[in-house]
Amino acid sequence: MDKTAQGAGAINCYPIPFMTRHLVLTALLASGVWAQPAGTTVIAIRDAQIHSANGPVISKGTVLVRNGLIEAVGDKVSIPPEAWVVDGAGLHVYPGLIDPLSTWGLPVAAGTGRPTQAPAPGPTPTTPAQLEQRIQTLDDGGPEERPSNTSWVRAADLLDPKSAALVSARNAGYTTAIGFAMTNVFAGQGSAYNLAGTRAGQMVVGDPVGQMVTLPVRGFGGGFPGSLMGILSYVRQIYIDADYYKAAQALYSQNPVGLQRPAYDRALDGVIASPRLLLPASRLAEIDRMLRFGKEMKQPLVLYGGAEAFRAASLLAAAKVPMLVNLRWPERERDLDPFIKEPLRTLETRDLAPSSPAELVKAGVRFAFYSGGVERPADLRKAVKKAIDAGLSKEEALKGLTLYPAQIFGLDNRLGSIEVGKIANLTIMDGDLFDEKSKLKFTLIDGSKYEPAPEAAPANPESTQ
Amino acid sequence: MRCPKLLVFLAITASLRAENFAIRGATIHPVSAPDVPNAVLVVTGDRIADMGPKAAIPKGYKIIEGKGLHVYPGMIDSASVLGLSEIGSIRETQDFTELGDFNPQLRTIVAINPGSEHIAVTRASGITTSVVVPSGGVIGGQASIVHLDGWTWEEMAVEKSTAMQMRLPSIEAGFGGRGGGGRGFGAARRPFAEVKRRYDEQMQQVRLFFEQARAYQMRKANPVLGFKPDLRLEAMIPVLEGKKPLIIVAEKERGIRDALAFAEREKVKIVLAGVREIDPFLEEIAKKNIPVVLPDLYQVPIEDDASIDEPLDIPGKLAKAGIKFAFGSYNIERPRNLPFQAANAVANGLSYDLALKALTLHAAEIWGVADRLGSIDKGKFADFILTDGDPLETKTQIKQMWILGNPVSLETRHTQLYDRYKKRL
Repeated sequence: MDKTAQGAGAINCYPIPFMTRHLVLTALLASGVWAQPAGTTVIAIRDAQIHSANGPVISKGTVLVRNGLIEAVGDKVSIPPEAWVVDGAGLHVYPGLIDPLSTWGLPVAAGTGRPTQAPAPGPTPTTPAQLEQRIQTLDDGGPEERPSNTSWVRAADLLDPKSAALVSARNAGYTTAIGFAMTNVFAGQGSAYNLAGTRAGQMVVGDPVGQMVTLPVRGFGGGFPGSLMGILSYVRQIYIDADYYKAAQALYSQNPVGLQRPAYDRALDGVIASPRLLLPASRLAEIDRMLRFGKEMKQPLVLYGGAEAFRAASLLAAAKVPMLVNLRWPERERDLDPFIKEPLRTLETRDLAPSSPAELVKAGVRFAFYSGGVERPADLRKAVKKAIDAGLSKEEALKGLTLYPAQIFGLDNRLGSIEVGKIANLTIMDGDLFDEKSKLKFTLIDGSKYEPAPEAAPANPESTQ
Repeated sequence: MRCPKLLVFLAITASLRAENFAIRGATIHPVSAPDVPNAVLVVTGDRIADMGPKAAIPKGYKIIEGKGLHVYPGMIDSASVLGLSEIGSIRETQDFTELGDFNPQLRTIVAINPGSEHIAVTRASGITTSVVVPSGGVIGGQASIVHLDGWTWEEMAVEKSTAMQMRLPSIEAGFGGRGGGGRGFGAARRPFAEVKRRYDEQMQQVRLFFEQARAYQMRKANPVLGFKPDLRLEAMIPVLEGKKPLIIVAEKERGIRDALAFAEREKVKIVLAGVREIDPFLEEIAKKNIPVVLPDLYQVPIEDDASIDEPLDIPGKLAKAGIKFAFGSYNIERPRNLPFQAANAVANGLSYDLALKALTLHAAEIWGVADRLGSIDKGKFADFILTDGDPLETKTQIKQMWILGNPVSLETRHTQLYDRYKKRL
C-alpha cells in the first residue's frame, strides 16, 4: 500500500498499470469525473466513520462496493485484493443525498437547478418556457382538451446527462434526484435518476415514481384553467375520466365485439401509470385542503411545500401523508417597503418554518427535504442546518436527505441507506455532514467516484481522451 | 348687508315655497343645548324663528302636532360624491375626477346633479346636508356644501366652495396597493428604491406648485402690466391665505405624518380625512386643533394584525384626545348608513352626545357653517327631522323632514320599488 506517496484518502489502484492510471488521472483533472468502466470495479473505503442512515453509526468501518452495488459494510469487512482502497481515516461516509423533488438535469432548469415557482399560486409566468406553455394553452377549450397536461411525459426522457446542474448537485453531495418537469397542472411523471452517467438510460433508478400536480394560477387571460378553483376542478375531472377510461379499456380488451372502442388518451394513460400523486401545500389551509382533495383522488398521496407544516403536523399525522419540505425557507421579499408592518403570522411562519421537520418527526410524519427554490445546491446544507438548529436531530436530518425520500417514493429497496445490496451511492465528507466547515471529499454514484469539480465548466466527456 | 335687494328677493321666493308653521308638543333635541320636552318649534320662511317650551306661535301659522315625537337637526355627511356620480360602471355619470395632478380650479358645486336618485336615498335616514368632495391627482378641486333638496345646484348650495381636496403622493400608492403589499395579477412589484424616488419627485412637484401659487399671490397683490390671470393659481389664494382648509386624505401612518408636516411647512389650514392609523398623532392633532373627517367605519381592519374593532374604535379615540371630528361616507350608495355608523361608534367607546354632534353641530363647525346649520337654534336654517325615536337607531321611523323650512319627500327609489312589488303579493 503506497500510502505515503499520496497521503490519506488517496486512491491506490494496484491492478491497473501505471500508464493507465496516469491516463485516468488526466481524465479526472480534465473533467472532475473518475469514470471507471461500470461493473468491473471494486472500491473499499476503510477506517471511515459510517453513517448508514438506518442503523447505528460505525465509528471505524469499511464499505465495500462492487459492480456499482454495496457488497459489504461493517467494522470487520475483509478487503479483497482486487479492491481499490480508499483510506477513510477522518472521513465520514453517508448514503448519497437524494433530492426528492428536483429539476436537476432537466431542460426547464438547465444550468441553474432552479425550478419554476410551481408550489404556490403565483403571478404570470416569466420564464420563456412558461411563457411558451402559456401561449400554447391560450386556445385550449375545456378539460376534455386536456390543457396544461403532460401527465405522460417522463422526466427520464428529458434528462440531459451533460447538464451543468448535475455537477453542482454532485458537488453539494447529492447523488440522486427525483425529477419532475414542473410545468403544467399535470407536470408529468417523476423519475428517480442518479446524478452522473454518460447516457440518461444508465442514470435512471426508478420510473415512473409519481405524478406531480402544480397550481399555476395564471389569472384572467392565461388560458384554461387559470384559477385555483378551475385547476382543482380540472384535476378532479381528470381523475374521474381516468377511472372511467381504465374501466372502459379493461372491458374492451376482454372482448371488443359489439363495443364502441374507447378513444386513446395519453393524458389519462399518464395519470393511470403514476403510482402516487404529488400535490402542492405550503400554508396550513393549503395542507388541510390538499389532504382532503388528495383523499378524493384515491391515490397514494405526497404533499410538497410544507413551510407551515409546523402548524399542520397533527393533520398530516392523522392522514398518514408524507411531506416534502422545501429547503427554501420563507424569507422577506427583497426591495420591500421598509415601513411595512408585516403580519404577525407571516413573521411567525418565517421564524418557525425551519422547525417544521422537527415537528413532523415528533408527530410521526414521514418527511424529506427537497431543493425547491434554493438556487445553489451548495446552499442546501446550510438550509438543512437551520432545521437542525430549530430542533431536528442530526440523525433525522440525515434520514430526511437519504432514507426518507427513498421510502416516500418506494425506492428504499435500492437507495437511501448504506446496506448490503443497495446501489453504491455514497457521499464522503471530511467531517460531519452538518458542520459548515466540512467539505465534500467525493461521491460514489453507481460505484463510480466523482470528486468536486469546478462548476462553471459543464462536464464534457469528449475531452477526456 | 351689501345687497339688501337680493336678500329681500330671496326671502320672498323662500316664503313663496315654504309655509310658515310650528311643531307643538314634541321633544326637541337642539344638540347645542339640553333636550327640551313638550316644546314648540316655530319656523318662519327658511329659518327657525323660535324654539322653547313656551314659544309663541304667530297667527296664521300651520300647527303640526308632535306629541310623542322628536325633533332633531338634519344630519351632515362630511364627505361624499353625491350628485357627482350616479352609476359606478357608467362613465358618463362619473364627474368627480379630472386628469392631471393639480386641479384646484375645479368646482364641484356646478357639477352636482340635483336629480340624482342617491339624494333621496341619502335623505331617508335623516341627512339633510352633504359636503361634496372631488378626488383625483394631488389636488382634486373644491368641495362644496349642499342641501339635499332643490331643483338646481344654486338652490342646493349652502357653500359653493368650502375647502380644497388634496391627497399627497404616497409610497403605498407607488406600490399599487392600499396596504402596500397587495398587487394585482401579473403586476410585477416595483423595488422600493424606485417607488421612493418616484414619491420624492412627486412631493417635489407639490412643493413647486405651492411655490408657484405663492408667487402668483404676490404678483396679484402687486399687479404690473401684463399680469395674466390663471384660474388654477387663483383658486389657491384662499388656501394660502388660510381662509379655506385643505381636506387632506390620508389613511396610513406615513401619509398622516406627511400631511401634518406639509401643513406645518406650507402654513395652511387642513382637515384630515379618512384617517386610520391615527394613534401616534392624537396628541399633535389635538394640540394643533386639526379637525378630522372619519373614514368609512364599515371597513375591515386596515392590517392583518390591527385590532378587531378598528376602524370602529377611531371615533372614541379622537373624542378622548379632544379632537373634533365628523362622519363621512366617501361615496354615494351608503351615506344613509352614517347614523348607524355613529351608533356603532357609540358601541365602541364614543359618547352618544358626541356621536350626534359629529353628525350635526361639530360637522357644521368644521366646515364653518355653524351659524346656519348643525343645531336647532333661533336664526338657523329650518333643517330638521321629526322622528318617532332616536335617529341613530335603525328601527326609528322618520316621519317628516324639512330643509330650509320646506317639507321634503321621504320617498326614495327603494320605497318606490317596495310599494310596486308589494302590489304583487
